[in-house]
Amino acid sequence: MTAFLTVRHIAKSFHLDKDVTVSALRDINLDIDRGEFVVISGPSGSGKTTLLNIIGGLDVPDSGEVILDGLKLTGLSERSLSRVRRDHIGFVFQAYNLLPVLTARENIEYVMRLQGVKGERCRIRSAEISEKLGIVSLLDKLPNQLSGGQQQRVAVARSVAATPRLVLADEPTANLDSKSAIALIDMMEKLNQEEGVTVIFSSHDPMVIGKARRSVVLKDGKLVANNAI
Amino acid sequence: MFRFAMKMAWASLARRATRSLMVVLMISVSLWSLLLMQGVYDGMTEQMINNAIRSDSGDVSLFRRGYRLDPSLENVIPDTFPDGRKVEDVLGMDGRVGSFVKRLQQNGVVATARYSRNIMIYGVALAAEKKHGQLQRYLLTGHYGFGAKRKGAIVGYRLAERLHVTVGSKLILSCQNSSSDVVSISVRVNGILKTNNMSFDEGSVFIDLDLAEDFFGVHQGVSQISVMMNEGKDIGELQLALQQSFPGLDVMRWDEMYPALMQSRVIMNGFKSVVSLIIFGVSGLGILGVMMVSIIERRREIGIMLALGTEFSQIRIMVLIESLIMGFSGFVAGSLLGWVSLLYFRSYGLDLSMFSEAFEEFGMDAVTYALIQPGYFLSAFTAILSAAVISVYFPLRIVSKVIPARIINEI
Repeated sequence: MTAFLTVRHIAKSFHLDKDVTVSALRDINLDIDRGEFVVISGPSGSGKTTLLNIIGGLDVPDSGEVILDGLKLTGLSERSLSRVRRDHIGFVFQAYNLLPVLTARENIEYVMRLQGVKGERCRIRSAEISEKLGIVSLLDKLPNQLSGGQQQRVAVARSVAATPRLVLADEPTANLDSKSAIALIDMMEKLNQEEGVTVIFSSHDPMVIGKARRSVVLKDGKLVANNAI
Repeated sequence: MFRFAMKMAWASLARRATRSLMVVLMISVSLWSLLLMQGVYDGMTEQMINNAIRSDSGDVSLFRRGYRLDPSLENVIPDTFPDGRKVEDVLGMDGRVGSFVKRLQQNGVVATARYSRNIMIYGVALAAEKKHGQLQRYLLTGHYGFGAKRKGAIVGYRLAERLHVTVGSKLILSCQNSSSDVVSISVRVNGILKTNNMSFDEGSVFIDLDLAEDFFGVHQGVSQISVMMNEGKDIGELQLALQQSFPGLDVMRWDEMYPALMQSRVIMNGFKSVVSLIIFGVSGLGILGVMMVSIIERRREIGIMLALGTEFSQIRIMVLIESLIMGFSGFVAGSLLGWVSLLYFRSYGLDLSMFSEAFEEFGMDAVTYALIQPGYFLSAFTAILSAAVISVYFPLRIVSKVIPARIINEI
């Protein structure tokens, strides 16, 4: 059976200077099935963010290919990648990255609006997801009126509101205290189970890593472990 | 999505309310002042043209062919042409003609006990002139009439100043009559005119047409027939028709008689283009500045939007909406201010009496009544709209260089 997400021979390097090139990823191969709850771990600079960016179509690899649910992402135009991100992938960022001029509700509805979902349906869905994540009271607030933990919960709600097939979360707990971090991962796991969405997140916090059901470990741009927990 | 983009654009503008308002203010104030200038300058030009048309040329004037080069009494338009036709009859039957007057004129000299000047003596029918060009409206002092014995005269105010005469003063008019004899008559000043048509104000004496016929010894014919149209659009058509009917006459439009005034109008049109260019420049630079800063400040926000799947074209719409909101707000505010001001100056006039001497030198009225033309607003709207659209080019280039993957990982 074909995997939901296939990463084949991915390599990526960055040119820091004329003569200095850093290999961020080297020949990464990875298969992830639908509905998995996967953590990518490894020390800083191991290539976690680069790998997530490539899987999410935010960056292109130097070589190799990414196939998401049968769709080959490598080689797609910028416009097509935008549409893949909009329609199939939800993102949670380390720095929350809520749109500052929109309320929490509008942030949650943002991707649905991009998809052209009508206002009433957007509101029903945002209410449903907010209920599930316990953030109903935050919906009318602007991001600068929310704490870090609250912002990240809104960001998680935004990532799943448009019912993507895949949620990518890059160090979602890095800016949170340990209690909030565990609560957030629990919340993501709940969504993974209830919404059936595949979740891949990165972290180097052992407590958070322990919550995943599968662990992929990177070191110096190489995949060094890929185990079920 | 459009409504959402509109909301995003509005929210971005509101977040930088002071800066956005400054641009709107800059556009509206410049538009206001430029609209005002346009309206007032246009009013001035049209008043000058109107003065010339009303006091002299009409919309169309007829002269005997050759009269303009040799304005002698030999070159008058005959009352009846050899084929029996009369210009008066043709004009009287033409529905396009609103009114016409006949004038008999001859170069001469006006003298008082102390002063004398070369002038043009006009024989006119005041009642007809009143209906034709409302000549009585130019009366500065005295009476609009030649008196019971028709021995009165009306003179231009500049001439009156130079001759040091007032209403009631006696003048001696001398000229060469049709028999080449030098003849003179005495008249009294009945009224003084101020038309702001310099040739009239400085060098004209109006006397009764019948008196002029006797004085000049011309009983068959006139020097000029001035025609006013019912509608200005028919001028060219009538000119052509009259020229074909009367090949022995010169049929001239007002702008052919006063090319300098027509030139003023052309210059005004050029000025309007410059005004549009200034509005375009001011709006464009203002919006460009704000949008550049706004986009640079929002690189992160735009990066997030792109990362979440927003297409570049949707960002472009959002940026364009922001620019258009600022431009349009400036246009509405500036147009409203300009319209109200022009409305005021159209009704009450702009009194520039303190510069009246300078204005009068150029044949302008001291009180200018502004014009309001839809074209002012249309060209300003076009200029602002173009500026708003073009000025987002550079900000959008910045957007196109935003790399979401890099931006979203900046903390």
